[in-house]
Amino acid sequence: MDFHLNDDQSAVHGAVSTLLARHAGPTRLRALGGDQPTYDHDLERQLEAAGFLDIAEHGSTNRLDAALVQEAISMALGTAATSSRLLIAPSLPEAIKGPVSVVAGGHSGPARFAADAIAVIVIGDRDVRFVAPLPAPVERVTSRLGWPVGQLDFVVNGNGSNGDVMIDVDPEEVRAWARVALAIEMVGAMRFATDLTVGYVTERKQFNRAIGSFQAIQHGLAECAVAVEGSRWLALEAAHNGTAQAAAVALTHAIQASKVVFPRTHQYCGAMGFTQEFDLHLATMRVVALRAEGEALGRPGMALARQRWALSS
Amino acid sequence: MEFGWDEEHSAYRAELVTFLEDELPAHWHGETAILGSKANTKYSRRFAGLLAERGWLTPHWPAEYGGYDASPWMLAVLGEELWSRGEPRGPQYMNANWIGPSIMANGTAEQQARYLPPISRGDVIWCQGFSEPDAGTDLASLRTRAERDGDVYIVNGTKIWTSYGDVAEHCYLLVRTDSEAESHRGITVLLVDMPTPGLEIATIPGVVGDHSFNELVFTDVRIPVANRLGEENEGWTVVREALSYERVGSPRWARAAYLLNETIQAANAEGRTIDAVAIEAIGVATAACEAARILSYRVIDERARNIPPSPNGNLARVAMVQAERLVAEACLAIDAGHTLTYKSSSNYQFRKALAAGVAAGAYEVQLNLISRLHLGLPKG
Repeated sequence: MDFHLNDDQSAVHGAVSTLLARHAGPTRLRALGGDQPTYDHDLERQLEAAGFLDIAEHGSTNRLDAALVQEAISMALGTAATSSRLLIAPSLPEAIKGPVSVVAGGHSGPARFAADAIAVIVIGDRDVRFVAPLPAPVERVTSRLGWPVGQLDFVVNGNGSNGDVMIDVDPEEVRAWARVALAIEMVGAMRFATDLTVGYVTERKQFNRAIGSFQAIQHGLAECAVAVEGSRWLALEAAHNGTAQAAAVALTHAIQASKVVFPRTHQYCGAMGFTQEFDLHLATMRVVALRAEGEALGRPGMALARQRWALSS
Repeated sequence: MEFGWDEEHSAYRAELVTFLEDELPAHWHGETAILGSKANTKYSRRFAGLLAERGWLTPHWPAEYGGYDASPWMLAVLGEELWSRGEPRGPQYMNANWIGPSIMANGTAEQQARYLPPISRGDVIWCQGFSEPDAGTDLASLRTRAERDGDVYIVNGTKIWTSYGDVAEHCYLLVRTDSEAESHRGITVLLVDMPTPGLEIATIPGVVGDHSFNELVFTDVRIPVANRLGEENEGWTVVREALSYERVGSPRWARAAYLLNETIQAANAEGRTIDAVAIEAIGVATAACEAARILSYRVIDERARNIPPSPNGNLARVAMVQAERLVAEACLAIDAGHTLTYKSSSNYQFRKALAAGVAAGAYEVQLNLISRLHLGLPKG
């Protein structure tokens, strides 16, 4: 048990942070369209060229280093399908080079990255299916939740009618890694939102004092910090241990944390928080999208309780 | 960074679990399994004695005091496994975790020879004389006076909310020895043998289960100066050191998770349906317990590296309180109408969770410390 980065992890963290400072961040996200961005192919290429996207070995069960890279990308508001590449792809029999969209079995409708995806990974109850190429062009959808979203107008029904093929992999394993991926993405975005809000309430003065000196705001932000830190370490632990239980725990807690962080960071940033010029929404709206995706992937809270106690209802 | 257990600690956990599975089934049920009850405290003497025989009561103590310098991780495994079963050490976990170490760090040779062996044998109950009617969260404003008269202190004042005060053989007592000094100065620790003339103990009926609180009224109680722990007027430093890691010393999240499991098992055994609302609540509460666990581990990691206590302890403590409350919610969702019986675990957990944010330091004080020390927010 060791909560500190080792030398290799520190070196990777330093290198990816340098790359992200140049190729990601809120300014880059605004250039891509802000809350309705286009896909950041350049960032993906840069991360690929530097070798960060293949940091987890194929088939490995310890993907902690990959989770640390994804956390840094999410904190820098990166706009590419990196979490599936970093955390899910090592479970798949063949490498994926390019954007993918990950959806639950039976899903039809809006999906993150679908308009740019070279493939869709469909995590069903009994199997995992791979759709590539996509059977029809994918329309872009306006979501304004900080991600490029496309409309999937087909349902993967398991009979191959949409060109889908079954992948030889345990769907529970893939679902677990998808949960870890979402949890760490939520953590990165929530850290951005909390850090920004702490800075804002320290600067913003009302009644002749910084609003961050009022106890009501201090207590609210302290609870945000507890929620985010708890989610962070659970997500990293899940990435290290690679179990279905740990993954469901991490995503369940990240979703609960978002219920604290989203309303409070906006509340404490006041009217600034609902302007486009202020960066807060770039992170918080993403959290809403990630939470929705997490719930769609089989209600992690219920899944966790059912797994642990074999509850059937 | 990595989150696995090494072989030594895994092996210790396995050995400990085997012992617990042999020992507990015959004893650990009914009132005995309720932390704070009289039966629980009585059983703690047998149980702590058995741990002591195996070297597991005070493994983290130095060899000269009967331990073997076990790592903070070993102590964490011990605490986790015991709290996961409701804490059969009863009040004696406090002795091993901080009262003993405080006497080791600050006591005279005579005090150490007298007080440490019974603790390491598992055959003594201590209570902590901290809170007063006007000094709870603001402990440093305590007013119980101790005036020096030759080789004794004469103590007058009232301590309140003292758990185990009615059964303890000793009290780790905080008194004011300098009423002129600024609040944190002028406090002294006295080790009081109980009963003692002039000390009256009255039980205060509570609503948090079978756990009793007590009021200790000191009227001209004479305590030998030889029973002073550390220097006169330096008691605040002594107690702060002693309690610095105690925020995660009692893994209450583990007991909350245990009660959640008990509630689910009881519902299953009685054939009651656990519906979707309850299942979601169980998931949320379980994740909260796990968050408290991992945040506590982070503090233990700091301790194992001899890093000075940081606000990570406050984060862990807040997460523990939240976990206890969410477990109470989940238990209610499971038990629904069955909560109406006093003996239901949901009824019990609601009472226990009431105290979660008060016992061992108020929740709001933890939030104050997080906002200042962890987030760096400006002072009000």
